[in-house]
Amino acid sequence: MKKYYSISLLVILMLILAACGGGDTTPTDTSSAETQQVETAVETAAEEVAVEPETANEPVTLKMTVWDIATTPYWQAVVDAYEAQNPDVKVELVEISSQEYQDKVNIMLSGGDDTDIITVKDIPGYSAMLTRGQIVPLNSYVAADGLDLSVYSGAAEELTFEGSIYALPFRSDIWILYYNKDLFDAAGVDYPTNDMTWEQFDAIAREMTSGSGADTVYGTHFHTWRSTVELGTVQDGQNTVIATDYNFMKPMYDMVVAMQNDGTIMDYGSLKAGQVHYSGVFKNEQVAMLPMGSWFIGSLITAKNEGEIDFNWGVAKYPHPTGVAAGTTAGTLTSLAINTNSQNKDAAWDFIKFYSGPEGAKVLAATGNLPAVRNTEILDVFSALEGVPPEANEALQTAAVRLELPMHPKVGAVEQILNEEHELIMTNSVSVDEGLAEMTSRITEALNQ
Amino acid sequence: MSYRFRTGLGRTLTYILLIGLAAVMLLPFFWMLSASLKLDKDVFGFPIQWIPEVPQWSNYAKIWTRIPFLTFFANTAKLTVIITFLQLLTSSLAGYAFAKLQFKGRNFFFLAYIASIAIPWQSYMVPQFIMMRRMGLFDTHMSLILLQAFSAFGVFLMRQFFISIPNDLIEAARMDGLSEYGIYFRIMLPLSKPALATLTIFTSVFVWNDFMGPLIYLNSESLKTIQLGLRLFIQQYSANYALIMAASLVSLIPIIVLFLAFQRFFIEGIASTGIKG
Amino acid sequence: MNLPRQNTASARRRTIKDTLIAYSFILPNLLGFAIFTLVPMVFSLVLAFMNWDGANVVSWAGLGNFKQLLRDTTFRIALINTFYYVIGTVPLTMAAALGLALLLNQPLRGRNFFRTTFFFPYVASLVAVAVVWNMLFHPAVGPVNQLLMTLGIENPPRWTADVNWAMPTVILASIWKGMGYYMVIYLAALQGIPAYLYEAAEIDGANAWQKFRNVTLPMLTPATFFVSIMITIASFKVFDLILVMTGGGPGRATNVLVIHTYNTAFKEFRFGYSSAIAMVLFVIVLVITIVQFRMEKRWVSYM
Repeated sequence: MKKYYSISLLVILMLILAACGGGDTTPTDTSSAETQQVETAVETAAEEVAVEPETANEPVTLKMTVWDIATTPYWQAVVDAYEAQNPDVKVELVEISSQEYQDKVNIMLSGGDDTDIITVKDIPGYSAMLTRGQIVPLNSYVAADGLDLSVYSGAAEELTFEGSIYALPFRSDIWILYYNKDLFDAAGVDYPTNDMTWEQFDAIAREMTSGSGADTVYGTHFHTWRSTVELGTVQDGQNTVIATDYNFMKPMYDMVVAMQNDGTIMDYGSLKAGQVHYSGVFKNEQVAMLPMGSWFIGSLITAKNEGEIDFNWGVAKYPHPTGVAAGTTAGTLTSLAINTNSQNKDAAWDFIKFYSGPEGAKVLAATGNLPAVRNTEILDVFSALEGVPPEANEALQTAAVRLELPMHPKVGAVEQILNEEHELIMTNSVSVDEGLAEMTSRITEALNQ
Repeated sequence: MSYRFRTGLGRTLTYILLIGLAAVMLLPFFWMLSASLKLDKDVFGFPIQWIPEVPQWSNYAKIWTRIPFLTFFANTAKLTVIITFLQLLTSSLAGYAFAKLQFKGRNFFFLAYIASIAIPWQSYMVPQFIMMRRMGLFDTHMSLILLQAFSAFGVFLMRQFFISIPNDLIEAARMDGLSEYGIYFRIMLPLSKPALATLTIFTSVFVWNDFMGPLIYLNSESLKTIQLGLRLFIQQYSANYALIMAASLVSLIPIIVLFLAFQRFFIEGIASTGIKG
Repeated sequence: MNLPRQNTASARRRTIKDTLIAYSFILPNLLGFAIFTLVPMVFSLVLAFMNWDGANVVSWAGLGNFKQLLRDTTFRIALINTFYYVIGTVPLTMAAALGLALLLNQPLRGRNFFRTTFFFPYVASLVAVAVVWNMLFHPAVGPVNQLLMTLGIENPPRWTADVNWAMPTVILASIWKGMGYYMVIYLAALQGIPAYLYEAAEIDGANAWQKFRNVTLPMLTPATFFVSIMITIASFKVFDLILVMTGGGPGRATNVLVIHTYNTAFKEFRFGYSSAIAMVLFVIVLVITIVQFRMEKRWVSYM
């Protein structure tokens, strides 16, 4: 029996080694330079995969990961525009459900997948992929084509890590304030302006809260995402959400928790348990104001056209802390990256250049989305769309856009902690001070690991 | 066996209790049914309206057109049938050997099977995926089949069952000159119908409801399963819960039919898995 | 085999042939299992002593991951929560399953209907169950709290929105989902108890309670043993239900070991560390299972 044990163990060990064969699982000196590790991984991957020579005129098929094809018309629209200009390139969209998007992409890339273009949905995903060498730095391509990255109004800088940029932004949504004009008219209150401080916002919200029970109209609404509260804390540019001391978040949390306790907004617990979506409450006219991202504009326009809603709505600039310029807001970027394992990198670059550039931007704007390339021409295209409220043009003009979640190698772990503590504060399980103290100690610990 | 039933009050109370409990068990299903007949924005409306004012029967039609539900249905059925069949075949063969045959390494391997039940799948999910990918099995149904057709639980269940079959039967057959294969096919297999029925239900339910497996291993739309399909109703900025509920209820039907069909064997079957002693 | 072994050449040949035949039986399953499950499993256990982020090279960590476990507050919380969950779920589910089985073992009309009904939750997809359960236990408008408020309870618990009530809510959902399954096992076992035992007891003048204690319970011990093993292991490995109901929250109130394993692997990309957590879980479950098997002889009576 003992002999049997050892033989079997040996067999199993051999199987393991055979399965791991290929070089990328050999224990190695941890002190070797990060670039060497990346290069080894790249070389190994390249060795295993047959490389076909790229010739300029051979038909090329590019694959690109995306989500929500059914409700996001621009994916295909931009692809069509590109294919029209480049008849020898075909782009295939690989759809992944948005709930699991990053998890699935991570797993695919871990397994050596060769999908050419990876859409970067959020910063933690971006950080994960670039720190593990799964997407390529684009600096050489940018330099070779003489691309001017300032057209992205600072977004390119947000995506740059240690001097290298690994994705081009094509969509840049900003946070603005939506409001229900009819409710304001009925209450005789002036519409929110393009220059409101959070205090003024708070006052208006309290004024607009009325009714009780099922007929309650809430002054405003904070969706369950922690970013809805924390965005206000980073507007002044003094801090980011990756910090060593989280007391700077106190004013905003105090305000929101007070609103919750006073019934000015729906309470977090109910929202979470009931899976309440901000679109529902705004469309059902249960809230007078809603701070939300610019992507919601398209949704509201569609709702109006399909007869789902029939009230008048407007948009204003995002409220700001006192002393900060009006029009300072937070933004989220959606970008495109090239897979390290892609076999068509040059073709992929040409495509993402188009997508993220002015031509792709026009298609995006025409479908009701805000592209990353921002100039007056594009904003005009957007504002001219039917259903976009007249004041949108001004509301969308920004003074400065700050990325809500900045690029950082440990951003995944940090976000996890932020989410957990946010939940505890908002369910009144801990006081604001306790919650922020926990954030500080836990995140400091995580960053030091 | 049976308890003697006190007539009258005792009986009525028991019925009331049972009906009450059954109502509690079925309440969530009623909610799902009710939700599936509403407009999405009313699904979570409060207070809860159990009977929707204007039942949206069209939801049940929409689920087939909004997403390729029929494809997902067919894929899930295909995977369920194949995996269940393979599991029944290999598990019963192995279970018989572990129960009735003596051979070197028997205890070692069986221990390995049991020990493996204790490890959560999440922890070896990634090495498993890398291996499958290297074999070129990513984005194929074959990957799921290979992963799920050879389960420790199936072997454990069949072995427990076979242990309870008296050895005399087998001895007599051996005396008659029957080979082990003969014994297996002519005697053991027919006797094991209850255990096989049990394993069928467990495996089928598992594969039918499996979410993580298809999520990781399937990319192409044409290969996806029902559980993945349900997620397509949840988008980045909205979710259509009415359709999700409708689709969930529809996907429950084959499983319920399967259960009702096998129920008879099922209750008998579990009794023979060694728990009688 | 029960034939006496003889030390003849033919006997030895027979043994070798028998071994080969036996292997031909187990090979289809064993091969598949060994290649596709066992190898990754062993690899992942080995990973516990390594550092790996899923993309770059693997490096040796020795006991480093385990040392870090001792400092990890989330691990401590997850460990406690896991035991909390197991202690809450196992006895209650078993009791509920047994109770239902006893109830449904009597000649009743609609017996099959009730049995099928109680088995339903096990069959339903988790995603739907979680949504529905959260709705029923909605702190403000869920029927449960509406009922409690009409009964006069002013501030009913906020269930999954409350750090103290989240785990009990999850435990409740788990019992609801699982008891039908184990009920069926008990039902089958009850049917296997020979009638003459009860008759003998009655002749001796035993009442209902005595019959239960002295005939039913002892005869059920094999079933109870089987159930207890299966449900204990399953409870230690709980993941899906918690993930969809609370995501591990609020905060870390329902964070259990497998969720922590998942987070460290897929949110923080520390696969080595994640494997270390999984290994601790594995050892705990193994020890408990072995203890249960050892105790089997003491209280389980096979006929």
